[in-house]
Amino acid sequence: MDERQRFGEVVLPHLDDALSLARWLTGSVTDAEDVVQEACIRAYRTIATAKSNPRAWLLAIVRNTAFTWLAKNRPKSLVVTDDEALFEKAGLEMIDCSREATPEAVLIAKADAEQLHRAIAALPLAYREALVLREIEGLSYQEVSSVMSIPIGTVMSRLARARNLLIQRIGMAAKGKAGAA
Amino acid sequence: MNKPPSWTSREESLLLLNAYLDNELDAASVLDVERRIASDATLKSELARLVGLRNALSSHVGKERASDALRRRVAAIADTPTLSATPSPRARPRSFDWRQLAAAAALAAVLASAGTYVGLQQSASPSQIAEMVAGHQRALLATAPFDVASSDRHTVKPWFDGKLAVSPQVIDLTDAGFPLVGGRVDVVDGRAVPTVVYRRRQHVISLIAIPQPGSKDGGEPLARATRDGYSLLSWPGHDFKYAAVSDLAENELKEFAARWRSGAIAN
Repeated sequence: MDERQRFGEVVLPHLDDALSLARWLTGSVTDAEDVVQEACIRAYRTIATAKSNPRAWLLAIVRNTAFTWLAKNRPKSLVVTDDEALFEKAGLEMIDCSREATPEAVLIAKADAEQLHRAIAALPLAYREALVLREIEGLSYQEVSSVMSIPIGTVMSRLARARNLLIQRIGMAAKGKAGAA
Repeated sequence: MNKPPSWTSREESLLLLNAYLDNELDAASVLDVERRIASDATLKSELARLVGLRNALSSHVGKERASDALRRRVAAIADTPTLSATPSPRARPRSFDWRQLAAAAALAAVLASAGTYVGLQQSASPSQIAEMVAGHQRALLATAPFDVASSDRHTVKPWFDGKLAVSPQVIDLTDAGFPLVGGRVDVVDGRAVPTVVYRRRQHVISLIAIPQPGSKDGGEPLARATRDGYSLLSWPGHDFKYAAVSDLAENELKEFAARWRSGAIAN
């Protein structure tokens, strides 16, 4: 099978997925299109390394491209920390002190699109990507772990924290609305 | 390590609830989690919040659609002769930090391992697989991926009966997060066959039913194949062989197959 044909089979069917991931990593569709195009060029060059799971393979390339792109074009939006321990500690504290403010399930289920988009966009990048890969792209923990190059245990804790933060934010937003009304 | 670790903190119970919600626990752990939820009101409301969030996300946060312009630009990449396909060195994966994982690793151990499959070649020929995937792709390109739109299985089943004089099992999986959206007719091996259409979030699942008189579900492992980026899982059912085609992640398609099979047996 030639490269062109392979590109058509493993990359083109997943463009919507690629664009969705890039959109949530960069924050805009226009930026996301640039990232996807660049990622697809990389994908074409390395098409020989495509795995049996082409979608996860492509999403990993999109993710890496997005980070390079952000570092070059939107350096302020990218807060990089290698200090995982600090990061994880912050997450833990966030969970422990949140008990009181936890909103009801009904409130969360009624959240509107704008609220949700804002809450997701406000998540720290490392949590946001785990959430997007799982909830919007529908990847398994195993696949998220390979796309993000992190152990499954870390996938689990980031996902749990991401959801917990969203629940808190939606609860606060709903309270704000009720107060203003 | 079959027993989940003790649930000493809210952190740990949240991790397990999330894994439960994501269908990533093995059967024994699922039972254990369900037992705990049943007897613990805090966990129950915790789970209800997570479910609420998931529903809100799936109804309000959709996939982006690549514009035609972007599609054209990307398709053109493969037409550019200057881009020769040279393998670039792969990024080195970040090393594991086991300390940071101390608690989480124990939880990860209870995650379901990748299921066992047999090759689909045993039950479907490559040309059948190609036809089924092509049918699914054609349906996605059409205005609607179905010919009869209905979330009611009592409408879809008679429609097949009237159209093809066969009636495959139509299982309602709305509660499991796979709403029924309709049915259509596909052609496999020159034969018109019924296809039941389900949805998961924005993904379409085509369940193709190939008549096979005398066949029944004996709990065989799923047969799997992938083609053009789509996954295909198939299993035997009552008088039909069923094949599910989708661009869903394979674990979700597996969940669909498992729910469908247990629903079919209960019916």
